[in-house]
Parts: sequence; C-alpha cells; structure tokens
Amino acid sequence: MKTIMKVYVINGPNLNLLGTREPEIYGTETLKKIAERCQALGVNYGLDIEFKQSNYEGEIIEWIHDAINTVDAIVINAGAYTHTSVAIHDALRAFSGCKVELHISNPHLRESFRHISYVSPAVDAVVAGLGVAGYGHVIELLPYLLNCAENTEV
Amino acid sequence: MTKNKLLVINGPGLADLGNYDGNTYGDITLAKIKDKCCELCEQLGVILDFRQTNDEDEMFRAIAKDSDCYDALIINPVGYSRAASVEFELYRSAIKMIAHLHKPVIEVHITNIFKQGAEITKPLQVPEGEMGFICGLGVQSYLLAIKAVNKRLNDKQTSFHKQVRVYSSR
Repeated sequence: MKTIMKVYVINGPNLNLLGTREPEIYGTETLKKIAERCQALGVNYGLDIEFKQSNYEGEIIEWIHDAINTVDAIVINAGAYTHTSVAIHDALRAFSGCKVELHISNPHLRESFRHISYVSPAVDAVVAGLGVAGYGHVIELLPYLLNCAENTEV
Repeated sequence: MTKNKLLVINGPGLADLGNYDGNTYGDITLAKIKDKCCELCEQLGVILDFRQTNDEDEMFRAIAKDSDCYDALIINPVGYSRAASVEFELYRSAIKMIAHLHKPVIEVHITNIFKQGAEITKPLQVPEGEMGFICGLGVQSYLLAIKAVNKRLNDKQTSFHKQVRVYSSR
C-alpha cells in the first residue's frame, strides 16, 4: 500500500513568465515561488509533488505518458494548449489516475477562442479563476480526491 | 473584524438529486451538501445563507435585490447556464450587477459538466463578472468555493478582482 502519493503539476506555455511580466497587474508571484508553495503543502499532505513547466506540447504529452502507472494524480494548467491540443486530450484520457484541470483566470470570461477546452472532457474536475491561490487549493484537495478515487465516485 | 457573509444559491432541480437518472450524483443530496457547507462555515467563522429554488424569479431576486446581505456569491445554476437560453440574460444582468459591486462570484457544479456534454450545460460566460469556476468535485466543489472566496475576502493584498478584470479585457 502506498503511503506517499505521487503528483505531477504540469504547466504549459508562457507560465514561466508568471510574476516577471507586468507584476503590477499579474502580481509578483513567480512560478518558482508557486512550485515551492505547492511542494511545501504537499509535504503536509503526504504528497510527493513534481512541479513542471514546458512551452513544448510534445514534452507535456511525454510527461503525461510518464505518469501512466507511476503517478497518482495530475494537476494540469495547459495554458493556451488547453484550447488547441487534441493530443494533450488524448494523452490525458490514457492516464487513469486522478486528473484536475487548473487555470489562474477563468477562460470563460475571456476571448471566445478560450471558451473551448480540450482538456476539460478528459479530466475529473476543473478549477479556474481563483488566481494563483488555485494551485494551493487543488493540492489541499488531492488527498480527498485520491481516497475517493479508490472507494467511490466523486 | 466583521464576519464574511456568503450566499450559496442552488438552481432548479437541485433539491431532488436523488431523482436523477443513473449514478451521476452518487449518493449526494442537497441536504448533505448543506450540512457540509454549514460545518465548514462554522469552522471558518463565516455566515452562510444556503438556498435552493426552482423559481428563477426568486433566484434573481435573491442575487440582485438581496445583494446587501452578502459579501460573495456561490452559485450552482444547473442547466440554466445554457448560453442560448432566455434565462441566461437574466443571470448575466444579475451577475453584471454583482461585478459592479466588486463582490466575488464562484460558479460551482457537482459533476464535470464538460463530460456530460457542453451542449447541455455551459459555464456562465459573463465577461464583466469576477467569477471563479469549479466543477466535478462533488460536495468539495462547494467547500472549495467557500474556502477560496473566504480567503479572497480576507486577503486584500492579492488582487483577484484586478487580475481577472485585466485578463477579461484583453
């Protein structure tokens, strides 16, 4: 029986710029800082969190493939690939663990080309528009979601 | 410090989750959701007004006219969030009004509405709104919304409002 749950937090294109671009608007928190916070939270909740970012679709797909049978949960902020990538959709469908789609803003309030998500139908849950705090909120929920996944439907 | 006041409003049909087909909602009932929400709000020191209505007029009255009575709104609009429906315009105007008052709004759904088919239920697309969106977490959709909105109300430093408004204007 596993005691430590393994989690990938996968971030897509442009999220590496978080905190460094227009900090007066987007806030000063960098992705590195968010990663540190998530990992610290993970320790409290018995989660081994690998926090990743890539600007390359193929690399994201390979991480999802790596996760099959080795990782318990994926939290994915696919950035703009959310709205374009059937390939990421397919990769996520191949991963049978717990999957949560995360966005800092709410894409449904933005331009119409962001209203379609190829990620949403391939995951268990969607959390959007809670700001960077969304990362911490989702991490805190994972132990509950992972237990539920073993016992009953959420 | 004054206590934060939340209005959680549930739309048509949510009183009868047990009557839905299949196992979409598992053994979740609105009474159970309410109990969990009350429990969490007590822990957080938040005043909770938890409502359900099958009457859309009552829903808009609660959202718009009672807006003095809450600091943030959590709404499960059920299937009424179809973008093409007449009701949507009513939601839109109510939420625009709340946005104008800078009160955060979070839309919640028990199930992942995108799995069921987005043609049935769509998110409330109100660009003027300051809205979070949570679906697919069961009872936890509500509990996460309560935690997130309470944190936001307590934390004046992180400017969620500003962030989302800037995003939406692009």
